[in-house]
Amino acid sequence: MEYGSATARYFGALDRAGELPNGLPGLVSGEAEDRTLQVWVRYELQLQGGIVRLARFQVFGCPHAVAAASKVAEWLEGRSEAEARALDARAVCAELEVPVEKLGKLVRIEDAVAACWRIRAAGNE
Amino acid sequence: MSDHEIYLDYAATSPVDPEVQAAMLECLRHEFGNPSSQHAAGRRARRLVDAARAAVAARVGAAPEHLLFTSGATEANNLALKGVLRRQRGARPHLVTSRIEHKSVLDTARALEADGVEVTYVDAETDGSVDPQRVAAALRTETSLVSIMHVNNETGVIQDVNAIGALCRDRGVLFHVDAAQSVGKLALRLAEAPIDLCSLTAHKVCGPKGVGALYVAPRTLLAAQLHGGEQERGLRAGTQATHQIVGMGRAYELADPELEAPRLSALRDRLWRELQAIPGVRQNGAADRRAAHVLNATFPGVDGESLRFALRGVAVSAGSACAADSPEASHVLTGMGLSDVLAASSLRFSVGRFTTKAEVVQAAAEVAAAVNRLRSAAKSAPAWCSGSGF
Repeated sequence: MEYGSATARYFGALDRAGELPNGLPGLVSGEAEDRTLQVWVRYELQLQGGIVRLARFQVFGCPHAVAAASKVAEWLEGRSEAEARALDARAVCAELEVPVEKLGKLVRIEDAVAACWRIRAAGNE
Repeated sequence: MSDHEIYLDYAATSPVDPEVQAAMLECLRHEFGNPSSQHAAGRRARRLVDAARAAVAARVGAAPEHLLFTSGATEANNLALKGVLRRQRGARPHLVTSRIEHKSVLDTARALEADGVEVTYVDAETDGSVDPQRVAAALRTETSLVSIMHVNNETGVIQDVNAIGALCRDRGVLFHVDAAQSVGKLALRLAEAPIDLCSLTAHKVCGPKGVGALYVAPRTLLAAQLHGGEQERGLRAGTQATHQIVGMGRAYELADPELEAPRLSALRDRLWRELQAIPGVRQNGAADRRAAHVLNATFPGVDGESLRFALRGVAVSAGSACAADSPEASHVLTGMGLSDVLAASSLRFSVGRFTTKAEVVQAAAEVAAAVNRLRSAAKSAPAWCSGSGF
């Protein structure tokens, strides 16, 4: 499998990998997985004033999945909640040139971010 | 090879030894003759081919006249399987092989199935061995051939080809062995072994790619798969690639297991000692019956593709290079009972003639750092990512 330079860059720079401190105000989290595709992704986001202030991720998967999770975390920071909710991981990760057989992993990344909103909504009910 | 790359993928292929290069260059520069020609240039080329055949034969304990040069072990495997089974007439012929053979045997078996041959794929044990009793149980009166590899290319596990060959002899069944990984690591005595056909290659032992051989025991009949000349006893038509054959001959002269195997196993064992510092790491394949050069290890909780990508300074593989483009988990490891996730979390390390102790120590440190980094990025991952709870 060949990987482009953008994939190498995001795979190599896992600055946003990990967790946010427990008890951080505005913390939401969500995860998604696909055992067939062998990918698991988790995001933790800090929302303040309708803006994603911090985004952290964890990921198990191939280099494209790792790089895409990292790229999406970078993209999320500073976005409004409305923008973040409309995440199109395929568009955000276009420069990673994820091969077609791996595009399902990007859907799981979107699912993990969407789970943050779902869990938050459930928590607010 | 880049200056900074530590090459631990000798089971995939190996760098050409300078002595082999010199022999090949000498041939390319001065001996362009066709070995089948009767003039002086042809006769000189013929002598080079004969000398190389004798060198290969000496290394594998066979008579030179029982070796046919091919383009490699893949062609040799094709010739052995198709050559035997396509000679069969009448009743539907039957082939027995195992689920953990190299792709060049398994794909050939599948091609034969499409032609009407019945194939039984024997399961492997969890230690990577093929139990001779399972092979015995698979034999039928119409079985024409059994094909079992000597050294598994992914785990290095040595199969008991003498026991399997003996039971084939008892039942009057031909026995083919793919020995692509054996030369230089194990002493072969083909003329004394209960083996009728044996595939060999040059590039795993610091010889050139594109040349191999098939050992054909006396009275073993094959149908040629290439037509167009009487070269190689009429079983492999085509002008012999003299320089390649010369390279194989020199490579086999140099590939002395008594000299190489102890050093290779010491390097492999040192690598394993260093890797054991990584929590949860485990070896795949019976440690007490492995060829000297291969170590297959699983790193639970780490995706193997990501691990290989993280190890850009260390050349290792997930398994067979011949299946590297496939997204499927290693059929050898899953055939030994590993889950797809664990099989995908595994790496094959293989050492060779030019590997140094410093390199294996450095490689192990780089693997440990990469595993640690990837595990840190998946700290809360569910159990299935580590191969449990699936």
